[in-house]
Formats: sequence, structure tokens, C-alpha cells
Amino acid sequence: MKKRMLALLLALSMVFALTACGGGGGGKTTLNVIISQYGNYTQEWWTQFEKDFEAANKNVDLNIEIVSWNDIYSVVSTRIQSKQQPDILNISGFADYVADDLLMKAEDYTSAEVKAKIIPSFWESNDIDGTVWALPILASCRLLFCNMDLLNAAGITEAPKTWDDVLTACQAIKDTHGDSVVPWGLDISTDEGQAAFSYYTWNMGGGFVDSSNNWALNSDANVKAVEYIKTLIDSGYCNSAPYTDTRYPLQDAFSAGTLAMMIGPMNMVSADSSVNYKYTDIPTSTDKSSAMGVCDQLMVFKNDAVKDQDARTKAISAFFDFFYDCERYSSYMVYEGFLPATTDASDNLSANAEKYIKGGTTDVTGDSEYFEFFCGLLPNCGFYPMGKAEWMDVRNGVIEVEQQVCQGSISARDALDNLQKSIAG
Amino acid sequence: MKENKPRANLNIKKKENKPRTNLNMKKVEPYIWLLPSILLMGVMILVPIFSVFQTSFSEISKSGVNKGFNGVSNYLWIFQNPTFWNTLWNTVVWTVVVVGISTILGIILGLVLNEKFHGRKIVRAIVVFPWATALIIQSVIWKYIINADYGALNALLLKLGLIDSYVNWTATPGQFFAWECFVGILVTIPFVTFCVLSGLQSIDTSLYEAADVDGATFWNRLFRITLPLLMPSLTVSTVLNIIYVFNSFPIIWTISKGDPADQTHTLVTYLYKLSFTSQKVGEAAAVSVVGFVILAACASIYMIITLRAEKEE
Repeated sequence: MKKRMLALLLALSMVFALTACGGGGGGKTTLNVIISQYGNYTQEWWTQFEKDFEAANKNVDLNIEIVSWNDIYSVVSTRIQSKQQPDILNISGFADYVADDLLMKAEDYTSAEVKAKIIPSFWESNDIDGTVWALPILASCRLLFCNMDLLNAAGITEAPKTWDDVLTACQAIKDTHGDSVVPWGLDISTDEGQAAFSYYTWNMGGGFVDSSNNWALNSDANVKAVEYIKTLIDSGYCNSAPYTDTRYPLQDAFSAGTLAMMIGPMNMVSADSSVNYKYTDIPTSTDKSSAMGVCDQLMVFKNDAVKDQDARTKAISAFFDFFYDCERYSSYMVYEGFLPATTDASDNLSANAEKYIKGGTTDVTGDSEYFEFFCGLLPNCGFYPMGKAEWMDVRNGVIEVEQQVCQGSISARDALDNLQKSIAG
Repeated sequence: MKENKPRANLNIKKKENKPRTNLNMKKVEPYIWLLPSILLMGVMILVPIFSVFQTSFSEISKSGVNKGFNGVSNYLWIFQNPTFWNTLWNTVVWTVVVVGISTILGIILGLVLNEKFHGRKIVRAIVVFPWATALIIQSVIWKYIINADYGALNALLLKLGLIDSYVNWTATPGQFFAWECFVGILVTIPFVTFCVLSGLQSIDTSLYEAADVDGATFWNRLFRITLPLLMPSLTVSTVLNIIYVFNSFPIIWTISKGDPADQTHTLVTYLYKLSFTSQKVGEAAAVSVVGFVILAACASIYMIITLRAEKEE
């Protein structure tokens, strides 16, 4: 009898448990959000955000999941395959989701207030054929970093301004320091070889697209840029394994003082480094140097299964209003060490960054001068053409071109012609 | 008398019923015990295999949406891609070189460790180290050792005066791949060694005593007694190694990620890159099916040989 009673209780509890899983919980709107992990303290900040948001929006049940960059694409892809895509996703790139008609238009859920404060170039960078599909979550900027002690010891008093200056400086460093110092850091690996392509092509007058936003991968300037990368390798100026060295070991080497120059993100030098370094414009052979901007996005997936679409859209709008609030958004930028994509936060951090604490610390604050310098650069940065549906193929294609050409298996001209043909026909 | 007959029949029936029920239960019982394992295998092995086959005949968009059946398009794409054929060749070289050399070295090491000498236990423990350490950790360590700019190998050789300046040990795809094979061999040797050791310890020592009496040399003993009696252990270790090495992912992915220019991939790293970097899930599934078919063929050959040998015995 006891066993029967126990079985009955178990069965009843299972029924209740399953019923609880199916419901939205007292008429609340549930929002599932996936956020990319930018650092060790991403989870901490978003946990607090979730609490604050739910306290301010009693009718919304917010579930935030932090996913590492290593896994996020496979996680999202699997969720889409099983029709369990999140409501809001933070990732890099959105054109593939647009192609499959999975996303809501940004205009449909962005309040006028939020739209007004997003830096126009960021708003436009998420545009495909006149429709904006995502919002910028944060940005970073890449510049040339030089170890001035190593350069000075080699007789170079200023950071190189042109690509010819780079070759001269590399030779001087090689002659002075021998094997103990690598003159130039180069990463043409699968991880970020497309970034290298951007640095060199943009600053030699080329790029991914032409002025009409059509693919222009085999331009003369691009051929010259890829040949220049090969020259750096063949002359022994850069790290020995640029095909597999990602920027992380290079950043470590720079911070340790064994790498003299590299192009990298603004926060690349480790906090405990004693290197006397300087960051400056990427060398160029054009009139004006183009820094590289990286901007990740927040996007909203459609969900036809939700009955009350209006309530869902309102909850999503509330999420973005809450996130882009100047104080909260500024605190997130300092916490993670990135640059804001809104005008009010840029102004605020350029003047008051010391009000906010860096993630994982209790007393290390932001630096207004630092934000003023980098926020000033952002509007003129170049960005990947992520709005184009072929971007992922182009990204992989240019990495393959760099590696093939630098291995000497094909000329830069032929490799880029082949790529242009396969992408644009 | 007439009355007795039915009674006798009834008795017989009663006596037959009980053993039959027991017999039926005995026949069914093993299957009941096996059922959870069979169900588990069905869910964990057969369902994914079916899913991969299904995916290989489907068009999957870059965002992961299944656009439906697309015939053999994914297979045509991989077969028309030169990288696939280079990868397939690499996979064969990788498997043959790693399994072949580690088997030869494992046999030699097993024979040495089977001899009695001072410190044998310590040496055996040292041999286990590469086996007991995670592959990913060993691969990362080797990646740093061979790095030309800050690796330990160049620093050591320079200090010993064996080189004048740093040598780039991974200047070409061939050099990269050779290092990967070297690491593969190093981590596979312990398994073979211990398979050989267990085989050697099961050989009856009286056979060697008899051989000594007959004046057999070391080589006679090795080729006439040791190796023939080691064959069952070696067969098992070789087949397991072929499957394991063929499917090995961490060494190549950690050291080169299949680069430069996709020249050092094996099938497993290639399909991983296709799926998770290039987001070509359908094509990756097709590569996976090709790998599955190759391994299934190898396993079938092994099964046929084993069954024939059992029949002959």
C-alpha cells in the first residue's frame, strides 16, 4: 500500500513538474537571451542585469545564458535546427539569419530614444538593402602597437607611418636584436586571418568591397597587400608560424617584450606588462590611415509560437531601453573593457570613466583619456562587410588566399582572381 | 486401469510444465538484462549515425536551417574539392605512420620492459605518462616546444651549441604534419607497449626453456615463439589503434588546425572545420559518412579475419 501511495505521489509530482515547464508562469512574458562571453566577468555583470531588469519589469521573466565564443555558433545553430532559437542573441554577424528570414527588423522593437543615441555609422553597418536587422552591442578598435625601447635600441625613434617604414624598422630590429626579438607580429591563422587582410588592404587602398558595395577582392591594391604580407614572411621579419599563431600568443610576446610591433586591439597589452609601448595609427600608403573597428551585434529572432506578439515586442523594447541606459551601458563598457556604440555613453565615458569599475576588481576604474582617444577613432574605423550574405565564405576565402600565397603555392593575383570568381561569379 | 491413465498423463504434464517455464525464462532472461544496453546503444549510437546520414543528404543553411533533401550534392561538393582528396591522403598517411611506427616501437619497448633489470618498475611508470596525460595538454606542450620563436627546442639546441640561430621547425605543411605524426606516435606507444607486455606475460616460460635446450638463438625465439604468440594481443591493439588514430582530433587541431592552407587536415579535423568554422554542416556530414564507411570496412575485414581464425581453430 505504501509503495502504491509513493508511486502515485511520484506520478502526480511528475505531472505538476511537466505542467510547470510548459507554462509562461502567471502571464509573464519570457525572454531567452544568449550573450557571448567577452571575459571572465561577463556572467557576473549579466546576472546583476537580470535581477535589476526583472525588478523593474515585473511582467517579464528574463533568462540570460552566457556562451563562450568557442561554442556560440554551434550552440545557436543547434538551437535553430531544433526550433529553440533565443529571443535575443549577441553574436558577430547576422546576414545568414536574415537570409533564412529568422530575424525581426530592428525598427520593429527599437524605441526612438535608443535609435537616436546609437552612433549612425554603427546603425548603418547593420543595414541590408535598406533594412537594419541588428543593434551594436559594443565595439573595439585595432591599432599599431610598438615597443619603443626595442625600436629606439635599433635606432628607430618614431613608430613607422608607412609600409616602407615598417620594412626598414623590421630590418633594423633584426640586425640589432637577432633571434631574441621578433620584429613584426603576424596572424594569418584560421582564427583571424581576415583581420590581417583588412589591416593591409584597407591601408594600401583596397578592401573587401568597392565604392558600390560590390565584392572587389581581386583589386590591384589587394594583390599588392597580399604580396606585402608574403614579403614580411620571406624576409624573416615576422613570427615563424603566422599560419597557426593567433593574436593571443603574439599579444603575450608583446607584453613580455619579445615582440617589437604588432597590430592589435586597444586592450591587448597585459596589465602587469612593464613594456614601454606606444599605440598609433596603422601604417598606410594612402592619404589617411584606417583603423579597424570590430562591432558585435544584438539581434532579435522571430518566434511565431508566442501568442501575444505585442507583449513580446514590448518586453524586447524594454530590454534594449534598459540595456542602453547611459549609466548602465557605460558601466558595462568599463566592466568588459570595450568601447560604447552610443553617443551618450561615449560622451559620458570620455569625461567620467573613473566612476565605473573594471570587471574582477573593486577599485580599478576606467580611464577617461583612454575612452576619449578611442571613442574619437571609432567613427572613422573600417568594419567587415558583415551585412553581405557571402561574408562567411569571403572571410574563409581570404584566409586561404593569404596562406596559399605565403606558402608559395599560387600567386596573389591568381588566388584573388579565383576567390573573386567563386564569390561574385 | 482406465481411471489410472488420465492420472498418469496429468502427472507427466505437470512434470513437463515446470522445466519448460524455467527453460523459457532462462532463454529470455539474458535478453532482459541486455535490453538496457541495447536501448542505450540504439539511442547513443544508431540515432546519431542515422542523423548524420540524413544530414549528409540535406541542404543545411549557414544559420542551421534544414532546407530539405538535396540528393548527393554534398557528396559531389566534397569529391570535387581538391582539399578533400589531400585530406583523405593525409588521413591514410597519418593512420599508417602512427599505428605502424608506434606498433614497432611498442613491441621493442615491451620486449625490453619484459626483461628483468634494476629500476624496471620506474621505467614502466614513465612509459605510462604520455598515456595518462590528456592529449590536448600534450599537444599544447609540443606546440610550444617546437615553436621557432620562443620554443624550448631551439633554446635547448642553441645552448648545447648544436645550432647557430633559431630553426623554423614548421616552415612547410610537410614539416607541420611530420611533427604531428611524431606526437601521435609518442602518445600511442604506451598502449601498444602494455598490450605487448600483457601478451608476453601470458607466454609459457617452458617454451623458452625448451628452445634453449634445443639451442635456439635470440632471433629464433623472437620469430618462432614470441611474435606468433603475441599475434592475438597485437591484432587487438592494432585494430583499436587504427580506429582511435583515424578518429584522433586533438593533436592536429591543437598544433596546426589543419593549416597552412588546409594542407595538414585529416578527415576528422576537416569535417570539424567545415561544420564549425565554414558552417557547411551538410558537407561536413558527407565527409563524416565517408570516414564512417572507411572505418566500417576496416572493422568488417577484422571481423572476417577473426571469425575465420576461430573457425580454423
